[in-house]
Amino acid sequence: MNQSRIPGRGGGPAVVSGPGPGEPAPSPPRPGRSWRRIFDDRIFPLLLIAPALLFIVGLVGFPVFRTAWLSFTDASGIRALTEGDMDFVGLANYAEIFSDPILRRSAITTVVFGLVCVVGTMVLGIAVALLLNQPFRGRTLLGVLVLLPWAIPHIAASFVWQWLFDGQYGVINWVFTSLGFAQFEDFSWFTEFYTAFAVVGIVVIWQSFPFVTIALLAGLQTIPADVIEASKLDGTNAWQRLRMITLPMLKPLLLVLVVISTIWDFKMFDQVWVLTGGGPARRTEVLSVSTYVEGITQSEWGMGAALAMVLFFILIAITIVYIKLIREEEQIS
Amino acid sequence: MTSSLTPATASGSGPHYKTAGQVRRRKLASRIMIYVAAIAVGLFAIFPLYWMAITAIKPQEEIITPDPVWWPSELVWDRFPQVIDRGFGRYLRNSLIVTLGTTAIGLVVATLAGYALARFRIPLRKYLALIVLATQLFPVVVLLIPLFIVMRNFGLTGSLWGLIVAYLAFITPLMIWILRGFFLSVPNEMEEAALIDGCTRFGAMRRVVLPLAGPGIAAVSIFAWIAAWNEFLFALTFVRNESLRTLPVGLAFFVEQERVDHGAIMAGSLLFTLPVVVFFLFVHKRLTTGLVAGAVKG
Repeated sequence: MNQSRIPGRGGGPAVVSGPGPGEPAPSPPRPGRSWRRIFDDRIFPLLLIAPALLFIVGLVGFPVFRTAWLSFTDASGIRALTEGDMDFVGLANYAEIFSDPILRRSAITTVVFGLVCVVGTMVLGIAVALLLNQPFRGRTLLGVLVLLPWAIPHIAASFVWQWLFDGQYGVINWVFTSLGFAQFEDFSWFTEFYTAFAVVGIVVIWQSFPFVTIALLAGLQTIPADVIEASKLDGTNAWQRLRMITLPMLKPLLLVLVVISTIWDFKMFDQVWVLTGGGPARRTEVLSVSTYVEGITQSEWGMGAALAMVLFFILIAITIVYIKLIREEEQIS
Repeated sequence: MTSSLTPATASGSGPHYKTAGQVRRRKLASRIMIYVAAIAVGLFAIFPLYWMAITAIKPQEEIITPDPVWWPSELVWDRFPQVIDRGFGRYLRNSLIVTLGTTAIGLVVATLAGYALARFRIPLRKYLALIVLATQLFPVVVLLIPLFIVMRNFGLTGSLWGLIVAYLAFITPLMIWILRGFFLSVPNEMEEAALIDGCTRFGAMRRVVLPLAGPGIAAVSIFAWIAAWNEFLFALTFVRNESLRTLPVGLAFFVEQERVDHGAIMAGSLLFTLPVVVFFLFVHKRLTTGLVAGAVKG
């Protein structure tokens, strides 16, 4: 590779350091090459980007606008698809989401449960990153083990945890029973709202904390050791160092991780679908599950689209709040 | 610990001097705490996977027992050929077709676009980058209903092509983003040298840049492969034909039928999980930095 570079350098040192792509060449181009140059600089890039643009516009842009449009209609059933048989109903679908007890519950659950999962993910992720930042034997091994939950497909992970929390033969109930909590004998986790979501929460946090840990561990290693040493000499304890030095220095990274975790956790579908199926009586649905049930299972395209849009708006709102928060704090300090 | 402190330090004024014995004892205590925490975290991370594997190869009577058996008395391997006969062979084939198709098409499209975004001043380039990031922000369920309607109208619900197209929708943008980062890290001078030597732009890209970005391209392919392999919601929605189910959907329906056959369920889950875990361990570093770096720059 290097050898091919040297003759190029020798041939035209002035050009190498000269024009970037897209800038006019300093010397007048030879007539035979000028067309090629136009092709290389103007048409070629567009050719490169065209397929991706087609994908993004056709597979993402169009569907998003179509969903937004459908959410203002009462489209439902096959006839709406084949003959465009639907009426514009304004915000009626959105109004129904906030008045219908099942759908309102689903929206509230999404926000509250999503935030709980994000907090859990961040706390566990930070704690494990700090642990892995300590020198101890087997640290590398633990670093790999901690990654595994992230690698396991959501569906497979949900089925294992379902088996671990099995009422009759599950390991978890056995542990609680052996510790003396007799009420956990044959305890059924998935029939009650709170216990079902406790299990879903554990699965979600179990799968998303490794990403936070690994990303933070890389960030922790960029903190200069002398800053920590200096504060130790000043007589700080470990908690003060974490709160006053480590976390503030990692703030931009932490913000990104919070945003990414929020996006992942609020979208969750697989775990809820496997572990509770939205039941009993649609009490444990989150918005993505409601979208599927209304939009696909019951063919209420308009309502499903509105539910998807609500989830979209919630994510945008939360992301904006995060960004605002960090901006404000930067201005104060 | 407070009993051996001098009055001056106990009142909280002045630095906290400790005797050598105290220091050693504190160090020992904190070491023990670290190891206890490490073991707890390790168990939490690995036990479910261990339990999946061990349940898949236990004899039936050691699965269905209120007192867990931590290590089987004999290893039962028959469940794997059994579940492959009971549909997993077909699901495996479907999953492979979908993942390979998605990865191959996505890779070509994303390589070209990522290169263009890294090297040229394309009109609207800034907004393109923003769009790519925005596609990560909104939930894929937003795409679910319109894509489903389009697939129905084009008759794609009866083939695996529908799934490949749907996966490309949410996988390609992130691939473009990560690849753009890799291309930016390849120095421009090398390409310019090749151009001066008479290469066309495309020639320079193919001979100089692509080989250098090779590790990045490999990592992105694996990322796309994993994302397509794991995907459940679209596969559940778009595939209405039982013989075209991919592994996650096949597994979910299998579980619905065989509620109590925990050994077979775990064997199927393991077949589904292992390939991903192996691949994942190769690429996790690049994936993490790619996701974070893309977001920070944006």
